[in-house]
Amino acid sequence: MPEPTGVIHDIGYQRYTGPRLGRRAIFGALYLHGLRTAFGLGRSAKAKIFPWLVVGIVTLVAAAAAAVRSQIGEVVMTYAQFADNMSWLVIFFVAVVAPELVSRDLRSGVLPLYFSRPLPRSDYPLAKLLALATALWLLLGGPQLVMFLGAAFTSGAGMRGVWNELLDLLPGLLYAGLWAAVFASVGLLVASSTGKRAFAAGGVVAVFLMTTPIVGVLSIMPSRAVNELAFLASPSTLVGGVGEWALGDLLGPQAPVPIGGFGPVYAVAAVLLVAGCVALLLLRYRKVAAR
Amino acid sequence: MTTISADQAAGTPTAVTSTLDLAGVSRWYGNVVAVNDVSMSLGPGVTGLLGPNGAGKTTLLHMMAGFLAPSRGVVTLDGRPTWRNPEVYRQLGLVSEREAVHTFLTAYEFVLASAKLHRLPDPAAAARRAIAQVEMAGAQDRRIGTYSKGMRQRARVAAALVHEPQVLLLDEPFNGMDPRQRLHMMELLHRLGDAGRTILFSSHILEEVEQVSGTVQVMVAGRLAASGDFRTIRRLMTNRPHVFTVQSTDDRALAVALMAEASVTGVELDRAGLTVRAGDYGAFTRVLPKIALREGIRVRQLVPQDESLESVFSYLVEA
Amino acid sequence: MTLIATESLTKTYGGGVTALADLTVAVEPGIIGLVGANGAGKSTLIKILLGLLAPTSGRARVLGLDPTTDSAQVRARVGYMPEHDALPPDLSAAELVTHLGRVSGLPRTVARERASEALRHVGLYEERYRPVGGYSTGMKQRVKLAQALVHDPDLLLLDEPTNGLDPAGRDAMLALVHRIGTEFGISVLVCSHLLGEVERICDTLVAIDGGRLLRADHISAMTSATDVLAVEVSEGTEELAARLTVLDLPVRRDGRLLLVELVDDATYDLILGAVAELDLPLHRLDQRRHRVAELFATREPSHA
Repeated sequence: MPEPTGVIHDIGYQRYTGPRLGRRAIFGALYLHGLRTAFGLGRSAKAKIFPWLVVGIVTLVAAAAAAVRSQIGEVVMTYAQFADNMSWLVIFFVAVVAPELVSRDLRSGVLPLYFSRPLPRSDYPLAKLLALATALWLLLGGPQLVMFLGAAFTSGAGMRGVWNELLDLLPGLLYAGLWAAVFASVGLLVASSTGKRAFAAGGVVAVFLMTTPIVGVLSIMPSRAVNELAFLASPSTLVGGVGEWALGDLLGPQAPVPIGGFGPVYAVAAVLLVAGCVALLLLRYRKVAAR
Repeated sequence: MTTISADQAAGTPTAVTSTLDLAGVSRWYGNVVAVNDVSMSLGPGVTGLLGPNGAGKTTLLHMMAGFLAPSRGVVTLDGRPTWRNPEVYRQLGLVSEREAVHTFLTAYEFVLASAKLHRLPDPAAAARRAIAQVEMAGAQDRRIGTYSKGMRQRARVAAALVHEPQVLLLDEPFNGMDPRQRLHMMELLHRLGDAGRTILFSSHILEEVEQVSGTVQVMVAGRLAASGDFRTIRRLMTNRPHVFTVQSTDDRALAVALMAEASVTGVELDRAGLTVRAGDYGAFTRVLPKIALREGIRVRQLVPQDESLESVFSYLVEA
Repeated sequence: MTLIATESLTKTYGGGVTALADLTVAVEPGIIGLVGANGAGKSTLIKILLGLLAPTSGRARVLGLDPTTDSAQVRARVGYMPEHDALPPDLSAAELVTHLGRVSGLPRTVARERASEALRHVGLYEERYRPVGGYSTGMKQRVKLAQALVHDPDLLLLDEPTNGLDPAGRDAMLALVHRIGTEFGISVLVCSHLLGEVERICDTLVAIDGGRLLRADHISAMTSATDVLAVEVSEGTEELAARLTVLDLPVRRDGRLLLVELVDDATYDLILGAVAELDLPLHRLDQRRHRVAELFATREPSHA
C-alpha cells in the first residue's frame, strides 16, 4: 500500500527566462497577423464575408475561363489580362481590407500598445503594407493558378504544354505583383489618414475611381502626347500602361491602353508612386507614434 | 418649501435655501431599470452621491435637473416638479460629466453665453461674478482650449452658477483633475455649501467625498441603499462588528482583559498590536479607557479600521 | 541598481512649450508613484522613458539603458499601460494579449501560454474568449494591464490605472498593482492624480510640477509621525476639549478631531484618564502623520 502523497503546485507568477525573438520575428508576427486580418481569419464571421465573397468570385471566373478553354479551346483571357479584368473587384477589396488593417487600429487607440513594444515604428506600417500587397497578389495570382492547372493538364501537349503554359503564367503573376504593389501602397496610405472605416473605404474608392474620368478627358485632348500620357492619371490605367510596355501582346492583341513610346515613363511613374506612398505612410506613422 | 433664514453665515450672498425632493422616483429604459423607487430629500449643504458604475447616479442627476422625465414618481424643487419646468431651471444648475465646452471660446464668452441663455438682466456682471466665484478671473480671456482639465471644469461650474441657482448638481466633478485642482474644487464646493446652497456631487473617490462632506446618498443597482451621515450609517449596521486596532504597553494583558468584556467579540494578537472586534460600539469605546487605566496599561494607539466611508460603502454594496 | 535615472532632462516642444525642465531624479526598484499637476510633463516623461520621444537636452536611463539609443532593448523589458481606451472591440482578450506578446518578441506558443497566465493573474477567466467590446471598464483596465505584463517586463509604466473605475474596481486594481510590485518582483511606476492611492500602494513618490522636480522621496519619509495626537470621541467633544484644557493640555479643533501636543508618554495617560472620567466613547487616539497631500497644499498662481 503506497503512502498517500499530496503536493501543492506553484501556479503563482513566473518570470520568463526563455528566448526573446528579434526584429525579424516580430515583423513576421505582425505581417502574418495582417495577412490573416485581410481575409478575416481570427475575426468575426461578419469580417469574413466580404473578402471571401471576392475570393469566391475571382476563383469562379478563373474556373469558368479554364473550363471554357478546355472544352471549346478558346482562350477567354490570358493570365495577364485576368488582373486587368478584375480591377473593379481589386478596388473594392482594397477599400474594405485597407481600413480593416489600419483605420481600425487608429480608431481603437491600440497603436500605443504597439509602439511601446520593441519594434521600430516603421515596422508597423511596413508589415501592414506587405500584408495587404500579399493579400492582393494572392487574390490575383491564386485564380491564375487555377487557370494554369486547368489549361496545363488538358492541353494534350504533355510536359511541353505544361512548360509553355508556365511561361505564360509567370509574367501574369509578376503583373499581379505590380497591381498588388500599387494598389496596396495607395490604398493603405489613404486608409491610414482616418480612423473612420467608412470614410477610409470611401477615400480609397474615390482615389481609384474618381481619377478615371481625368484619364477620359485627357485621352480626348487634341494632342497625341497628352493622349498617350493620359493613363498616368489613374492608378489602374498606370498599371495597365506599365503592363502594355512590359508585356505587350500578353495583354491581348489590341492594346487596352495605347501609350505610344512612353512605356519607360509609365514604369518610372509606377515606381515613384509606390515609393512616394510608402514614404508618406512612414511619415504618417512617425507622427502617430510620437503622439 | 422655501425657507428664509436671516442668520445665514456672514458674508454669504444667499438668504434663500431650497430643498430638492424625490418621491418614489423610478426610471426605466425598456426592461432596464436605471433608477428604482428612490425617495430622498436634499437640503442646503454638500451631499455626496455614491454608487458603483451603473448604479443609476447619472440618470438620477438628470431627472433632478429636469432633463429627463421620471417613469414614475416625481422630483420637486421647493414643491414644484422639475420636469419641463422653466421656472425650475432658473434655480438649478447641472455640471454634467461629459465635457462639452466650446474650446474656441474664452471662459468669459462661454459663461456670458450661459448668462444670456438665462436672459439675465445684466449678463456681463453675472458672468464676471460667476467667474470670480470659481477664481478664474485671471484666465477668463484665454480660450478654453488652452486650459487644463481643472480649469475647464471650473469654467463649466461657473457657467452652471451664472444664474445663481440654489441647487447645483455635479456629475463626477473631480474626474481627470490633478491633486491641486482637486483641492481647489473641494474648497469651492465647501464654500458653496456653507453659503446655504444645495450641492449634490457624484464621485468614485471616497476619500475625497469624506473630506468634502460626511453626508452621502448611496445608490446600489438603481436603489437608494442609505442616506445621511456615513458615521451614523455605520452605527446602524449592528450586524457588523466594529474593528479597531490597538497598540499598548502590554498588548497581551490588554487582550485578556478585553476578552472578559461582553462588548468584545474577538481579539487577535500579532506583532503590530491588537485587532479588536466589538459587537457593541458604544459599550466598547466607553470601557476601553477604563480597562486600560484599571490594568495600568498605556494605550498608545486606537484606530478604527472600518469606520471610513470606504468601508461603509463596501458594506452597503456587498449587502 | 537604479531603476530610472534622469539627468537635467529637458523637453521643449515647438511653440516654446516646456514639458520637462531640467529634471534630475533617480529612483530605486519598487513601486513608484508619479504625481503632478495636469500638463506637468508626466506623459512626456513616459514617452521619453519608452524611447518614443527624444529629449531636447539631458539624459535618461531606464534599467541601465539609454532609451533614446537602445529603445528596442528598453521596450523589450518595459510594459506600458496607457491611460485611454486602447483595445480593439472585436478581438477577444486572449487573442489580443497573445498577439501583443508576439510583438514583444515571445515565440508563438510561449506568447499563448503567457497571455493565458497574464489574464489569469489580472483576474480574467472565461470572459477572455469574448470580444473586448462587451467588457466593463474594470475588465478593460485588466486587459490593458495583462498586455503590459505578458512579456514579463522588469518595469511597468502604468498611466492612471484606476481611471474610470468605481470604488470596488479601484480597490481591486490597487491590490493587483501592489501584488505585481511585491509578489511578482516587477518594478512599477504608477502615474496617478490620487494621492491617497499613491500613499497606499507606493514606496517611493516622485512629484513633478511644471516640468520640474517637486520632491522625490520614500513615502515613509513623507508620512512621518508628528508630535501631535489626534483624539476623537463620538460624543462630548466640547466637554473633553474643556477638560483637557483644564489639565494644561492645549487643544486645537480640526473638524471632529481634537489635536493635542504630545509632550511625553504621560500625555497618553492624561487623555485616557480624562476620557474615562467623563465616560465618553473613545473613537480614535493616534499620532498624527504628515500627508503626501501637504506637498500640494500651497496654491500656485499659474493654476488659479
